[in-house]
Amino acid sequence: MTDLMPQSATHAEEGAVATHRLEAHDLSLGYGDAPVVESLTVEIPDQQVTVLVGANACGKSTLLRGLSRLLRPMSGQALLDGKAIHTLPSKQVARTLGLLPQTPLVPDGITVVDLVGRGRHPHRSALKSWSSADEAAVTDALTLTDTLDLAQRPVDELSGGQRQRVWLAMALAQETDLLLLDEPTTYLDIAHQVEVLDLLLDLNRERGTTVVMVLHDVGLASRYADHLVVMRRGRIHCQGKPADIVTEEMVADVFGLTCQVVPDPVAGTPLIVPVGRHHTSDPQPGKGETR
Amino acid sequence: MTLTEPPATPVVDPVAVEQVRTARRGTFRRRRHVVVGLSLAVFAAFTARVLLGDFTITVPDFFTIVGGGTIPNVPSASFILMEVKLPRAVLAVLCGAAFGVGGAIFQAVLRNPLASPDIVGVSIGASAAAVFAIITLGLAGPVISVWAVCGALVTALAIRIAARGSGPVRGHASSTSSYRLVLFGVVAAAALQSCIQYLFTRADLYDAQLTLRWLTGSVSSADWQTIRILTVLLLATLPFVGWAARTLPIVELGSDAASGLGEQLVKADLMLLLGVVLVAVAVAASGPIAFVAFLSGPVARALNHDRTTIAGSALVGALAVVAGDYVGDYWVPGGNYPVGVVTGAVGAPFLLWLLVRGRSSKEAG
Repeated sequence: MTDLMPQSATHAEEGAVATHRLEAHDLSLGYGDAPVVESLTVEIPDQQVTVLVGANACGKSTLLRGLSRLLRPMSGQALLDGKAIHTLPSKQVARTLGLLPQTPLVPDGITVVDLVGRGRHPHRSALKSWSSADEAAVTDALTLTDTLDLAQRPVDELSGGQRQRVWLAMALAQETDLLLLDEPTTYLDIAHQVEVLDLLLDLNRERGTTVVMVLHDVGLASRYADHLVVMRRGRIHCQGKPADIVTEEMVADVFGLTCQVVPDPVAGTPLIVPVGRHHTSDPQPGKGETR
Repeated sequence: MTLTEPPATPVVDPVAVEQVRTARRGTFRRRRHVVVGLSLAVFAAFTARVLLGDFTITVPDFFTIVGGGTIPNVPSASFILMEVKLPRAVLAVLCGAAFGVGGAIFQAVLRNPLASPDIVGVSIGASAAAVFAIITLGLAGPVISVWAVCGALVTALAIRIAARGSGPVRGHASSTSSYRLVLFGVVAAAALQSCIQYLFTRADLYDAQLTLRWLTGSVSSADWQTIRILTVLLLATLPFVGWAARTLPIVELGSDAASGLGEQLVKADLMLLLGVVLVAVAVAASGPIAFVAFLSGPVARALNHDRTTIAGSALVGALAVVAGDYVGDYWVPGGNYPVGVVTGAVGAPFLLWLLVRGRSSKEAG
């Protein structure tokens, strides 16, 4: 981890202002002529867990792609450590910013330890062959994701949950200060979803890794996020602590869903209880208005 | 929750490290076995090609002739060895390796065994340009080879541009655009093939004979001049091939993951360019030896537990051409078939089998 900023960027104290290594200024992103994300400015707080949520096609994955250098800005800038991320050498970025893409491809025949080893690529060069630092990083990544016993197995033999943990191990082996994940829990069952999210939280709390992820489930997002960014139609609708911003009005505005927001009995964070056509609560004074 | 000190470097458990080491060793051991085994096979085939056949040469005689002497009672031995058998075998090894590596690179970058330069028309593009130069422009000599290389490059560029995908990452090689690339490539190959046949009808007898060499790959007209040039060119590409072998494992993971690991997306295109150059140069030296570029990657992978290996592909390609040349020359009764016919005969059923088996997609999620 030789590209760390000086340690003055310490974790935010309660109520103190967080520093931001990763940010977007007036960023517009798109795939064709029309921008999907428009003139968006956001600062990702360091050493916290930031979650991007929003309805389908609101631009949250696009924003993540723009922040992780996968997508060129149409206008505006994505900045890492104050410099436009597209102007930085790509290996240097890869040593600072790790990415877990949405649908990673598994090459044929690759074993778990092979795949995780490839995460060391940004730290290696033509002259540097496999070193003990590489070995330590891979071992550490496998241990953290509890995939050490799977080390010799081919990845395509593993279950969905195991495979996702292996991809996460690869991103961990990269030893980056920031980790960006695009819907890391989408194809997993509930137990594995919680497992992966708990692991990410461990990383943040114990190692100070800045985690930025896109999640579909606002309830899970509220549980795990220090900083929640809610997007709507390519712009930020609101952002802040989940307890502050997850309200019935917000959910109705952003997702078009009538709901009740109750405190999660386990975590205390806001839990969204949807009101559909078949399951409605007793009408309460001033609430329950349909769209 | 606050951190008051920098995150501690994780303490690593030596038992766990040992587990990782063992796991890694397994992969390397297999690859080493494959490379060593194939090298021995290529050496054996090379030896058979040079020493055996209609005109056998013993090992001591071989060293005598190579050392510059002649064999008493058999004055033609020097000529046959030094001007016919040896150059043929050497050219076969070099071209086979070039085809093998070019094909393997294409198939790995595009993640599609069908997307091989000889299937998508790169080889035929080289042939078409050469035939055009011979018949229509009336050229002769080494300039034809230059035309061949240019033809391959132009064809590859045209297919690449035409097949540019419209996905989230536009304009770069990815698995979704490989389907389009194969489609365009096959169409281009068919079109170029009909061009060649048209030109053929307008050729006079002498040109037609010259042209044949550009239609079916053959090492029978090998000469040391060609081999020297080919060796120099291939040596020049060697550092790039080494770079490709190191970077391919990353590009194989898909454009998103590769980008996340610090490999810019343009690297995939550069690798394809390297593959085109290798194939173009080999076609310029020996003509389009059918299916070698297509077969080498999958066969090497099948030996290596389904893992891509550039070195293995080079060796399989060399083996295919040397063995194919040997078979074409001696094993088929009553005929002296150029190696392109033999590899074509084996390659076509293999292609069919691959299509019938279906491409198993191994996408995670």
